[in-house]
Amino acid sequence: MNEMSEVIAETPETPKAGKKRGKWTRRTFIGAGLLTGGALVVGVAIRSGKPPERLRAMLAGGDGEILVNSFVKIGKDNIVTAVVPHVEMGQGAHTALAQMLADELDADWNNVRILEAPGDGHFASHNIAREFLAPELKVPSVLEPTVDGGFLTLAKMMALQITGGSFSIRGTGQRGMRAAGAAARAMLVAAAAEKWQLPASEISVDRGIVAHAKSGKRAAFGELAEAAAKQALPAQPKLKTPKDFKLMGKPIARLDIPAKVDGTAIFGIDVQIPGQKLSYAAVKAPPVVGAKVAKMDASAAKAMPGVLQILNMGDFVAVVAEGYWQAQQALNQITVEYSKSDADKIDTAAIFAGYGKALDEAGADGGDTLAETGDAAAFFAKAAKKVTAQYHVPFLAHAAMEPMNCTAWVRGGLCDVWAGSQSPLGARNAAAKTLGISADKVNYHNTYLGGGFGRRSETDNIEMAVRIAKATGYPVKLIWSREEDTQQDWYRPSASSRFEAGLDASGKLMSWNNIHTHLFDPQEAPLVSYYNIPNSLIRKVDAPMHLRFGPWRSVDHSQQSWFIESFVDEIAEAAGKDPLALRRELLAKSPRHLAVLNRVAKMAGWGSALPAKHGRGIAIAQSFGSIVAEVAEVDLTAKKPRVTKVYCCADPGFAMNPDGYTAQMESGIIYGLTAALYGEIMVKNGAVQQSNFHDYPMLRMNEAPDIFVEIINGDAQRLGGGGEPGLPPLAPALTNAIRAAGGMRIRHLPVAKHFA
Amino acid sequence: MQQTKILFIGLILAALSACGSPAEEPAEQLIVAKPGAGAAPDSSPAPAAGDLASKGKAIFAAACAACHSVEAGEASGAGPNLHGILGAKAGRVKDFAYSQAMKTSGVIWTPMELDLLLANPAAKFPGTAMAAGKLTDAADREAVIAYLTDISK
Repeated sequence: MNEMSEVIAETPETPKAGKKRGKWTRRTFIGAGLLTGGALVVGVAIRSGKPPERLRAMLAGGDGEILVNSFVKIGKDNIVTAVVPHVEMGQGAHTALAQMLADELDADWNNVRILEAPGDGHFASHNIAREFLAPELKVPSVLEPTVDGGFLTLAKMMALQITGGSFSIRGTGQRGMRAAGAAARAMLVAAAAEKWQLPASEISVDRGIVAHAKSGKRAAFGELAEAAAKQALPAQPKLKTPKDFKLMGKPIARLDIPAKVDGTAIFGIDVQIPGQKLSYAAVKAPPVVGAKVAKMDASAAKAMPGVLQILNMGDFVAVVAEGYWQAQQALNQITVEYSKSDADKIDTAAIFAGYGKALDEAGADGGDTLAETGDAAAFFAKAAKKVTAQYHVPFLAHAAMEPMNCTAWVRGGLCDVWAGSQSPLGARNAAAKTLGISADKVNYHNTYLGGGFGRRSETDNIEMAVRIAKATGYPVKLIWSREEDTQQDWYRPSASSRFEAGLDASGKLMSWNNIHTHLFDPQEAPLVSYYNIPNSLIRKVDAPMHLRFGPWRSVDHSQQSWFIESFVDEIAEAAGKDPLALRRELLAKSPRHLAVLNRVAKMAGWGSALPAKHGRGIAIAQSFGSIVAEVAEVDLTAKKPRVTKVYCCADPGFAMNPDGYTAQMESGIIYGLTAALYGEIMVKNGAVQQSNFHDYPMLRMNEAPDIFVEIINGDAQRLGGGGEPGLPPLAPALTNAIRAAGGMRIRHLPVAKHFA
Repeated sequence: MQQTKILFIGLILAALSACGSPAEEPAEQLIVAKPGAGAAPDSSPAPAAGDLASKGKAIFAAACAACHSVEAGEASGAGPNLHGILGAKAGRVKDFAYSQAMKTSGVIWTPMELDLLLANPAAKFPGTAMAAGKLTDAADREAVIAYLTDISK
């Protein structure tokens, strides 16, 4: 798709050379052109008024290249191609993004195709950086360069074009795909008006046909594509309002499903290179992070069938063989000694002791203050009733079902890489950097992802594969064993959190003081600004953690929501209030949250009688722009708790594809339930102890609850995400339900260890 | 919603950044065999590379040679000379007037890129002048690519 760079013209929106740098706005930035062959293309970039020169240089962009967030191609054959800059990892983003574009365009859905943008810099979604940095920040002009600079730094760090942060629909879709569709529609109408010599205002578009009702004139998109490319570009195309939506808000079937059902969809692990015989690599990295290979004895492995090469790469050992099984079997026969370090002494208890020490040192007002309202300490000192609690969560692995893998072929100063990455551009840049070649020498091919959850935004598998392929000189597919995946992850951090709450004589919550370890992302995860609490102080403190950590579905919300919503229930219990009633009280000034809470309570029949040893728990969380409340129903009659039902109500602003959004809520609930019940990565002698599904179990079909999801479209102007927000309320709803069923108050996850 | 003082807006997502590890060469490299050399139990049932390339040469003669020359230095015909195409950038031959689509594609000719092109040239490069030469059989494409790989060595 590189030919785009030649045909997309800069619009008059670009400040002329020498003109003052434009203020960063969320103005869409549109370019259009004609492809050889008569196809209209319209691209949309969202960025500062001035093309980000530093960003361009970093991405090795050439003259005339612009960064395009999304685009649409309309061919003479009437086929509308939506080019989307996000990867498909089961979340359904491709279809929903195409839906948004096609609706604004009034295209015929049967003629819509989807193409995933290549990781080549043209599609860098650098607005994601801005969204993460300061989602609702309004910056005075004088500060704009600073924020823009910060955002560029962040963009550089992230290497761009990320699929994550529950961002695709609310960011790229809302600001890119819709604008591209609306602009293309306006240009098609203008072309028809010119051709027919009729006013554009009398021309309508419906399902791919441009028509003038009075004269009966009609033309398909394909007939007008070439003429449309010559029309003026609408700088601010008019977007539809919900009453005019035809495809948005409809449960359209995902376009990637058939290939996934019939097995023709290509994931990274399926890659074959036509005309080439692949060799396979298995790897083992030192069990303790940061250690090196001190000594390798491969005498037994060398003689094993199919073995081609054995590599000591310094920071890992690899076997390359004719087949994967042979490589892994030979690897298992290699004995390795590793370098020693102080990290060899670390175990889980020592890590949590370190957190406790850091929290002790921070005391009642130390650490980094994240948010402060009123004077929490002063009220707490004189509170009529005091509630305190401390919570702990373990490290978690991602456990994506498709094992980590990457195929690479390095020869003649060039490199081809095949993988499923959440960060195609990051993967490409990582390969280039690892090999010491420029990014334009790397041909990166992204595939479907068999689960991402944040794990596939890292590039360690890519770096390993290109290093192995460079050593061999022939194409190699690297596949990690499940053991390697479990033990060499970028974990959800373990964390501890302490709370102090003060109630007045009437039982009203007056003060909230929280200190917890670590703050990674998003920054608002520990905040409770939607709760009406007069005095609050929220702080974090850093504490040593030797394991690698990274984003894990919903990131810090995964632990913070459990801390917060567990403590709200403890306050309710101390005050003798119903957990729902207390939350209603606290949400009195947050009507959207209250509506979601009330709906889920109604769905679950909150307050109705349950059999003995059964209980309901409720929790609400706001993450990635969506508000989600869940009620879990638990049966404690057997030895182990059984979650029988989960009710979920979500307000994502507007669900572009309600079926897809519902599926994401269900998926977040299942993933969250797996983690809350079983997820625990433990450390002994510096190394991760768990290794496979026998000791890091997944939720089984027979344990899955009935899930009921309802959606409130609370504000179509402010979209929230779908990939992550279903997860955070699940763990607290579950542990609150266990307490309500007569079980213990769980303050240390996972749940299963309390019932062992 | 009460007034909350946000005191900290940091640069986040630090762990999302992909810090490339230095390109360390292997400390030890034990070469036991070359791919395909051993009689491994699961070795590919596909024909050996030489056989595949000769099959590809025959297909090339019938389907491609009318437009494309392959000898080094030979003049281009209706299509560009293909000597050394594997690993080369699209639009590299001096004596051939490429379509805009091809010239600006930025594609590096890997086997997979060639496979995509041969499967449907017009779909891969809307606007390409390559009107003929579509090979619908994947095995034929594999053979032709093996041949092109051979002549690119």
